[in-house]
Amino acid sequence: MNSKSQAGNAFSFSWWHETVIGVLLLVVLLVAGWLVPGFLKPHSQLLLSRHLWEFAILALGMTLVILTGGIDLSVGSTMGLSAVVFGCVQTSTGSLVAASLSCLATGLCCGAVNGGLISQLRLHPLIVTLATFAAYRGIAEGWSQGNSYSRFGTNFSSLARGSWFGVPLPGVIFCVMAIGFAVFLSNTPNGRFLKAIGHNERAAKFSGIAVERIRFWLYATSGLLAGLASLIYVARFDTAKADVGKGFELDVITAVVLGGTSISGGRGNILGTLLGLLLIHETRLFVSRYWRSDELQWIVIGSLLILAVLAYQLIARKPRS
Amino acid sequence: MHRPICWLASIAIAVSIFGCAKHDSSQTTGTSGETATASAGSHKLRVALLPKIKGISYFSSCFKGAEEAAKELGIDLIYDGPTDGNPRKQAEMIEQWTIDGVDVICVAPNAPDVVASAMQEARAAGVSVITWDADGTAESRSFFVNQASAQAIGEGLVNAMLEDLGPDTEGDVVIISADATSENQNAWIETMKPALAKSKLKLATIKYPGENASNALADSQDVISKYPNLKGIFGISSVSFPGAAEAVEQSGKGGKILVNGLSTPNDMKKFVQNGTVRSFILWHTVDLGYLTIHVAKALAAGELKPGATSLKAGRLGELSIVGDNVMLGDILVFTKANIDQYDF
Repeated sequence: MNSKSQAGNAFSFSWWHETVIGVLLLVVLLVAGWLVPGFLKPHSQLLLSRHLWEFAILALGMTLVILTGGIDLSVGSTMGLSAVVFGCVQTSTGSLVAASLSCLATGLCCGAVNGGLISQLRLHPLIVTLATFAAYRGIAEGWSQGNSYSRFGTNFSSLARGSWFGVPLPGVIFCVMAIGFAVFLSNTPNGRFLKAIGHNERAAKFSGIAVERIRFWLYATSGLLAGLASLIYVARFDTAKADVGKGFELDVITAVVLGGTSISGGRGNILGTLLGLLLIHETRLFVSRYWRSDELQWIVIGSLLILAVLAYQLIARKPRS
Repeated sequence: MHRPICWLASIAIAVSIFGCAKHDSSQTTGTSGETATASAGSHKLRVALLPKIKGISYFSSCFKGAEEAAKELGIDLIYDGPTDGNPRKQAEMIEQWTIDGVDVICVAPNAPDVVASAMQEARAAGVSVITWDADGTAESRSFFVNQASAQAIGEGLVNAMLEDLGPDTEGDVVIISADATSENQNAWIETMKPALAKSKLKLATIKYPGENASNALADSQDVISKYPNLKGIFGISSVSFPGAAEAVEQSGKGGKILVNGLSTPNDMKKFVQNGTVRSFILWHTVDLGYLTIHVAKALAAGELKPGATSLKAGRLGELSIVGDNVMLGDILVFTKANIDQYDF
């Protein structure tokens, strides 16, 4: 029904959102550059971008998950469990390579469990990942008994603190992956199926899309990315502990939704997510470097989210018939 | 139809953001707002003070002393820290201050290993780094402002408890600590154990609720019901102490189970007045903040060098330095008789 006009609307909608977030980002950057001396210096921007990459990597997976109308609340806890596995393997074998691989494998397994429960048992993603959100953290805490593992050496910490032509290594990893995800989403059949699932799952199923298989791999990927984010986090702070990644899931979902991905699925893209991430990151840096106030950050970011949604509604929403 | 409402709402939010922003900037001109004017004129020393948790009375009272010293020495003082005590945020704040080019960073690390890399990077960039309240790894800082030796605190706690219970009392005691990785608390526990072994009290268990008031309350309720012969609870962080006192008060065993520990007088006044707590200990927290800023200033001015054995710190006079620890001095014991003399 009326697919032509809907497609037209969807196109104009999505670009409106990027414009609104882009303008907000520009305003924040200009105000910050004016009020905080040296805020826009490339050197400081690149150094402080280290605070962003773990969120950014998680947000790639989360964008795809939310695009299909799902959600993954377990990413932060998956990070915690992966970090504990990393610490255990590293202390028992002494091998950083083995530890890193098992960290990634743990992430993948955690994601696969989510994916299996959601696709095979047809459980709601919110319920499944809410359960594993608690379970993974619990396992991590029980296993490590509150211990932390640290001192992995400077070679390993350069994974997070090193740079490649001035760009932090995690940033390079993220950029490559972001381009990959964007191409996957817009230029491959499977990528376009994701949107179709989010838009209308029944219709997608009837048109022959392997919805459940796609969904399984989607959550597995989200888990794998959490493993990678965990690895970078552990390298950045030289510490693996069960509380790694606590609270990350909400920050990541905030960035994805702020970036214009519809929470009910079917609409969104990687560029929007990137803009959402940057808007939150720069706002945080600005508030923290100008007012020196940790508590004010939350107020400002909450207000920004509402402001962005309202602005978008005003400009782009068509009256419902 | 919804449009006018949307417009109104967005205008209201925009106004409130800017309103809130303006209000805050005028409030903080005393500390961070002066940054711009200071760097424009002659170079004013910029010192950043990082507490474990921002917004709890213990660290707020340290900040009071730090402000006093900053005013006295003409220092531009930055005070910020994570409101949830997250060490990741501590590390990120250190990184920001390094880029902002502050002269000295004073850190009270929540988890020494997590902040160590950031502190070492700051030092490599030419920023002086000291620790206060809790020590960091040795290579991450030049001096540690030590509030009191672990020996003095551990034995002080046990002695205060014995004095309140009577030296020959038999029974169980428990310790409610902070995290299992908290260096301060672990060092105190190590000195408390031999002191308790000499008495007739038996250490039944140690709980680790983290720096979390509701967990501390729950853990204390647990031990009260689990150990019928419980005589005393040591709440050895400024969060777990009020939690333990609250639990004893709620259970109606106030006076039968005594609680002592470390906390600020203002937080414990009501428990001392109703008899749940007879005595507790702490160092002079205002002086700790005051001394930290003096050490920062002396370090930046080149007056304090490795190997020094003493330091003159304003109204505190000459203080001794043991190794690379600047010692604040004795602990204070608070009781019903003297608690009203202190306001922090």
